Amino acid sequence: MNFSEVYSRIKIKSKNQLKLGGGIWFLDPPKDVSLDGYRIDDVIHYTDGIILFYFGIVVLLMTYFVIKYRARPGHSAEYDKGDRKKNVIITICMGMMVFLTIDVVIEGMAFRDLKQAFWKFPKGENVVKVEVMPQQFAWNFRYAGLDGEFATADDLIPTQNQMHIPVNTPVVIQIAPYDVIHSFFIPNFRVKVDATPGMVNTLWFQATETGEFEIACAELCGNSHYRMKGVLTVDSHEDYQKWLSSQDEEGEPEEDDWGDEDEGVPTFWGWSWKEAI
Amino acid sequence: MSSQDHHEESFISKYIFSQDHKWIGIQYGITSLVFLLFGFTLMMVMRWQLAYPDTVIPFVGWMFEDGMLSPDMYNSFGAMHGTIMIFLGVVPMVVGAFGNYLVPLQIGAPDMAFPKLNMASYWTYLAGGVIMVYSFFVPGGAANSGWTSYPPLADIATTGQTIWLFGMVFLITSSLLGSMNIIVTIVQLRAEGLTWGRLPFFVWAQFVTSFLLVLAFPPLEAAGVLQLMDRLAGTSFFLPSGLVVGGEILNVSGGGSPLLWQHLFWFLAHPEVYVLILPAMGVVAEIIANNTRKPLWGYKSIVFASVWLGFMSFIVWAHHMFITGMGQGMSLFFQTTTMIISIPSVIILSALFITLWGGKIRFNTPMLFALAFLPMFGIGGLTGLPLGLAPTDIHLHDTYYVIGHFHYVVAPGTIFAIFAGIYFWFPKITGKKLNEGLGKIHFFFSLIFINGVFMPMFIQGLAGVSRRLADGGVSYAHAAGVLEWNEFMSMSAWLLGVAQIPFIINFFMTIFKKVDGVADPNPWQSTTIEWTDTTSPPLGHGNFEIAPVVHRGPYEYSVEGASEDFIPQTKK
Repeated sequence: MNFSEVYSRIKIKSKNQLKLGGGIWFLDPPKDVSLDGYRIDDVIHYTDGIILFYFGIVVLLMTYFVIKYRARPGHSAEYDKGDRKKNVIITICMGMMVFLTIDVVIEGMAFRDLKQAFWKFPKGENVVKVEVMPQQFAWNFRYAGLDGEFATADDLIPTQNQMHIPVNTPVVIQIAPYDVIHSFFIPNFRVKVDATPGMVNTLWFQATETGEFEIACAELCGNSHYRMKGVLTVDSHEDYQKWLSSQDEEGEPEEDDWGDEDEGVPTFWGWSWKEAI
Repeated sequence: MSSQDHHEESFISKYIFSQDHKWIGIQYGITSLVFLLFGFTLMMVMRWQLAYPDTVIPFVGWMFEDGMLSPDMYNSFGAMHGTIMIFLGVVPMVVGAFGNYLVPLQIGAPDMAFPKLNMASYWTYLAGGVIMVYSFFVPGGAANSGWTSYPPLADIATTGQTIWLFGMVFLITSSLLGSMNIIVTIVQLRAEGLTWGRLPFFVWAQFVTSFLLVLAFPPLEAAGVLQLMDRLAGTSFFLPSGLVVGGEILNVSGGGSPLLWQHLFWFLAHPEVYVLILPAMGVVAEIIANNTRKPLWGYKSIVFASVWLGFMSFIVWAHHMFITGMGQGMSLFFQTTTMIISIPSVIILSALFITLWGGKIRFNTPMLFALAFLPMFGIGGLTGLPLGLAPTDIHLHDTYYVIGHFHYVVAPGTIFAIFAGIYFWFPKITGKKLNEGLGKIHFFFSLIFINGVFMPMFIQGLAGVSRRLADGGVSYAHAAGVLEWNEFMSMSAWLLGVAQIPFIINFFMTIFKKVDGVADPNPWQSTTIEWTDTTSPPLGHGNFEIAPVVHRGPYEYSVEGASEDFIPQTKK
């Protein structure tokens, strides 16, 4: 398949398939449909506002200086080395002012958000657990069977590029690839986590609306990285149960289509769930 | 030292295997300008693909199959654009060219401390550059795993990656030789009376930069050799056990860690950012002090802040790795240090800015570039804030927002400072000033178009468009709303290319212009030694007829009661 064919297919697909928060051209992230995404937007908005404020001051002052202190006959410069104690204090104060109004505030917000949301992994019965195994160039999703344990015989057959989750329910994913580094990114949820061979990473999020959203790969993973796309479907609880049971009916997992036992290639992927700290 | 005697030199020893720091500086400068143009050309080709996907690339389309870049080729161009711009363009320019040419002249030294080492440094650099260019012609093309070369992708990539690693080993060795030379020169060869408190800020910036290079590059050199072993000798420093690629088990022993490469790489590559920016700040400081006719405001604070910046730059590297799962403690530590490092940057920038206050500002081309540096670098620095925090980085990491951020630091930041420096010191190097009219055309159009290239990247990045997508994001529906910017950005990039033509014309026109009489050694009425105690261009090997003796600080402009508005450092 040559490149132009790929392009034309993608164009048609992307126009008709999904309806998202696209069409936004101003400084705003895409529509947020997650429980905690607003936290990231808030910090971005605060930072945007305050850096525009400081930048505005700098540009205005600079324009003023450049006009007022331009070289012209009869005008001479002041000899001021700015090395007196007073000047050093002013310099430090300016540094500290920026530090206190920007850095300390956003660091505080960041610390709060990490503690209250991003690193506070949900536990309990109602948590939906999914194992994700990205490969060049697709996403594989594994759901535990009735026993609730992963890497057992009653796991559901892994789905490819189709992830389903119920709305208003915490979802924890664990992610690990076997080939190269990928990065699991859902722009509408403000979540992203690297998938690095040799380690299992954990991420959690919660949807607030039903619909279809895109999963993008954010880390260069090879020549078709640009179209390594998955679809996340957020279902209502009933739809989710219906989907789960339809998956179940397909029976015991058989040989995966990308393996061959004779060559020692694993035909089964998955790992027993590692509780996040 | 064979410096003071003016013996006859053959053409080869004078112009090719020269040991004169001035000629080596010029060699560095010309070579890196060529590489900057080459790296920029790669990007102009890539931008066609992003703006008009699925159409044949004009002018250069015949070089590629179907007249378009394949995704592999696109990745190659992206990786090589980064590598060439940073390691073959900007670093050799700010350290190799500016550092080599100016440091000995500004401290009143006859040459670098180790002239032969200096020559070796240039030739090692050129060898590295030739190897990098050669890699485009090996099967599979040049390295295509990004300029960061993350394994396992880089470990299993085509031959180009091996060549890239060889090239990097040469380039790193060259930088190490050059930076050690600069440190020793500054410590040992300062003129009589030139105390540390009287050094021009440019020399301080080179001093700190050289320490960063000496301390940060060896880990990457080691990492590069380890990756080379992974690729050639079957080791697996960066490969974990149980790798399966494309359905085939990878035949490696395993036990390595891909994360280790990222730590080693960013341990270099974050100080590298300050290697790019500190000499640029040095250039801008010299030009601003000279053209405001004022002493640099808060000289001691700036020097202190730049040393502080140098130290801090070694403990912020892992803010590039917030989403790798490296651990919560690490994330907290590195986001805190990242916030702290903004203080010295703010101090340097505001001191440069306050220098304008109460000045007598001359608007020549170098000054315009230096003035533009301040707000442009400001945008680069400020937009880095959300990237330095673990939570906001979750959304912005690896999007076009990052690309916009660091290009504002390096392109309208450092590269504008490079242009400022070229326009400023050109009369010293050749004895002739560059044409002001062409210079101003070059400046204003560059300023407009460079913002046209990078500003929309923030918009695309916030929308979640990832970097390194061979189709620019056409595959993704969430990108659809902001992709219309691609055409605008590409147009700006090509017009930015056109805006460099006045500079190229100016450059050659001035070099070949015939001027009668002796050139004015100090056309900008400057105070530092390179202007006041040498001819333009400076004498052959040895620089000074009489060894200069320094009596005062570097920026004695507009001193009350003085006969002129500047007092040279060497005036009693």
